[in-house]
Amino acid sequence: MSAIDYLLLMVLMALTTAVTRSFFFLLADSRMPPWLQHALGYVPAIALAAIIAPDLLMSGGQLAINPSNAKLLAGIAATIFFLLTRHLISTLAFGMAVFTLLRLFAPAL
Amino acid sequence: MDSLQAEQAAREKAAFWDGVRISAPTMPGLVAWGAVTGMVLVQSGLSVWQAIVMTLMVYAGSAQLAVLPLIMAGAPVWLIFLTALLVNFRFIIFSAVVGPHFAHLHWTRRLWYGYFNADLVMAFFPQRFPQHTLAKPTGKLGYFTGLAMPTWCSWQLGSLIGILLASQIPRDWGIGFAGTLVLLGLTIPLIVNRATLAGVIVASAVSVAASGLPYRLGLVVAMLAGIATSVTIDRITVSATDQEQGKS
Repeated sequence: MSAIDYLLLMVLMALTTAVTRSFFFLLADSRMPPWLQHALGYVPAIALAAIIAPDLLMSGGQLAINPSNAKLLAGIAATIFFLLTRHLISTLAFGMAVFTLLRLFAPAL
Repeated sequence: MDSLQAEQAAREKAAFWDGVRISAPTMPGLVAWGAVTGMVLVQSGLSVWQAIVMTLMVYAGSAQLAVLPLIMAGAPVWLIFLTALLVNFRFIIFSAVVGPHFAHLHWTRRLWYGYFNADLVMAFFPQRFPQHTLAKPTGKLGYFTGLAMPTWCSWQLGSLIGILLASQIPRDWGIGFAGTLVLLGLTIPLIVNRATLAGVIVASAVSVAASGLPYRLGLVVAMLAGIATSVTIDRITVSATDQEQGKS
């Protein structure tokens, strides 16, 4: 990506931040219809899931739902840890620790 | 008149420091999260200046992490933009909580303040100013700034530390996976009902199945499939609830 393209992209991305965050600052007098409120509620989770799923479930371009997939195992461990603690930073530390240990000490997996 | 204005300014100032005080305990965590994000940006392949420009301009961690694989895969600008937009959609909900309190300001100032209405600000603001305080503007700008300014500073400080440290860390440590874990931790609390869960499962499956499509277009297909699933299940659930209520 050229420097100009990259800067253009950064401007566009900054706009998505500004416009979404200030949406009901700008439309402060209007009320959201309930169906839209519902729809907006689940879009971010779906967008994020679509992004992370390939990294967790695939390895080298192939489906890898098996115990030799260190990212999948670490992801599952991190999910359980997060559900128990609800703490993002410690979940990150825990997940990375599991991932690193699996990579270092179970390379045959 | 002057004394009234001075009194007003003193109130805003007091509210500002209230905001700083109440959000202070969360700032170390924010610095750490910023540092991880900054590190991931560089470890995933952005140059130091690209990462700095992104951090300072975009100021939205999850969108920044989400677009990384797309930038690295050479996806078209419109697709990367669309992805950032969809990931940022949750901010529209946040803005509905805080935005109405600033309806009296000029639209340029509303856009400006809105840009700084990050997750933490949205979490703290309504604790002091719930919906029934809408008509009373006193202290709101001060309090909002007292939350937003430390939030921005902590995030940027952490990000810059991470970006500059990243080159000291070997690539094969797999720090990039931290980005996926952060996104995972942000996704789980957003799965608030069955409709969302179903959409998440469908989007994940389709994203994997369609990952071979060029320009990461599989991502768009996956998001559309997930949203369609959630909307459909939402409709069915709502109409079922309506029927039950009709019976009783």
